[in-house]
Amino acid sequence: MINVIADIGSIALGKLIRMGEALLMLLQAIVVKPKLSSISRLIQQLYIVGVQSLVIILVSALFIGMVLGLQGYTLLSAYGSEQAVGQMVALTLVRELSPVVAALLFAGRAGSALTAEIGLMKATEQLASLEMFGVDPLHRIVAPRFWAGMISLPLLVAIFSLVGIYGGYLVAVDWLGVYGGSYWGNMQQAVDFNEDVLNGMVKAVVFAFLISWTALYQGYSCIPTSQGISAATTRTVVYSSLAILGFDFILTALMFGGTI
Amino acid sequence: MTPKGIIEIKNVTFYRADRAIFKNLSCTISTGKITAIMGASGSGKTTLLRLIGGQLQPDEGQVFLFGQDVALLNTLHLNQLRSRMGVLFQSGALFTDLSVFDNVAFPLREHLNLSADDLYNRVLLKLEAVGLRGARDLMPSQLSGGMARRVALARAVAIEPELILYDEPFAGQDPIAMAVLQRLIKHINAQMQLTSVLVSHDITEAFAISDEVILLGHSGVLAQGSPDELKASEDPAVKQFIHGEADGVIPFHFAAPPLQEELRGLNHD
Repeated sequence: MINVIADIGSIALGKLIRMGEALLMLLQAIVVKPKLSSISRLIQQLYIVGVQSLVIILVSALFIGMVLGLQGYTLLSAYGSEQAVGQMVALTLVRELSPVVAALLFAGRAGSALTAEIGLMKATEQLASLEMFGVDPLHRIVAPRFWAGMISLPLLVAIFSLVGIYGGYLVAVDWLGVYGGSYWGNMQQAVDFNEDVLNGMVKAVVFAFLISWTALYQGYSCIPTSQGISAATTRTVVYSSLAILGFDFILTALMFGGTI
Repeated sequence: MTPKGIIEIKNVTFYRADRAIFKNLSCTISTGKITAIMGASGSGKTTLLRLIGGQLQPDEGQVFLFGQDVALLNTLHLNQLRSRMGVLFQSGALFTDLSVFDNVAFPLREHLNLSADDLYNRVLLKLEAVGLRGARDLMPSQLSGGMARRVALARAVAIEPELILYDEPFAGQDPIAMAVLQRLIKHINAQMQLTSVLVSHDITEAFAISDEVILLGHSGVLAQGSPDELKASEDPAVKQFIHGEADGVIPFHFAAPPLQEELRGLNHD
């Protein structure tokens, strides 16, 4: 029995130590005086992390918006309230689906790529090489990728909401014949900028932090072998996804719990 | 006491998990010479290189680089010290997102404030020295292993450091590339009057260009001297290593129970 408790304690302590290491890595990477030359690296990473994630975000947002429009219309028309489909689509997207789905896609597309890239840099001694040139790899490699993640995901979430709302419009208005004025009018009346849009963006920022931090730490601390990099990439997607879903509940409870 | 050589290793003990790689190892690497660190696989050659570069810290003892105790330096000072040295990694370790030109220019951009023309000319001269001026616009993925190693060599000497560390420069090279690398290392050392430390287990090549050899084994230094002194050594471990004999004081087999006990389906009585 004592052995079991000791084992649990040892595992918990190990996890705590890794959390501490991960936090230290992030602080060492981002607490630094910014240089002009780091802007070009940030722009390059914004392209790789953000722009290259656009296709999957746009396509997913369009289809999710269309499904919401169709489901919403079917459900609401049973009560003769199909004119409210716009507000349903918008609220569902800006409060929940955009931040969560975009973050899950971002973790799978960009997070895994970040881990694999840094893991391979470690395996091919590029990180050690930077160190030996007197260049801190945390500043050079980790920091621009972290900030690129932090900037990209909230923008992708905003794009997701816009395209999703348009997808809902295509199905509800153009296909099923809901009056366009009601679609936009009800949406404008029901969606509050601070309560809904800003809270959705707060979620996006929190998820961006969780994904970027997890992906970069997993890459930086992985065992530099093909098996080690593969395991680290898997951990990035699994840990990020679980963190997104767990934090989504916590944030939703904090933001909207009082109104329930 | 002021250290004698450019690198001085004093009573270093280093463990990996529970295995002692070094126990009380001491040696000095003299300024201006080519020193080869040699030894069997697992004797700690690359580990010693990493201890010298400050990438690893000894569990006990001290490593002095340019007269400074590496373990006592903060990141800023360690980086300043590293800017006085070049490293050629075993894999080349070229930055895969940069072209050949930008790889060689990297340390120059980081540490020297050169004009665009000076930087361009310096990079071209270094690439010319390794015979790859014409490959300046290629990406690392377009280079052969030997070419990548030569670009890495040009990058390592780009800032004209006082010390250069080579990790297995001859491993996996064809005879032509090996001979070219040998000549380059010798030539660069003489021309730039720097100190070279070479980790290798290629006896013929390393002995041909080294002024001094440090032979590692048994968690310490087995022998240190000129290649001729080591060739003439009567020490059984040195002789075994130089002549490549499997049986001797340096164990070829990793510690294990007798083979007869481990084979299945055999009558052990």
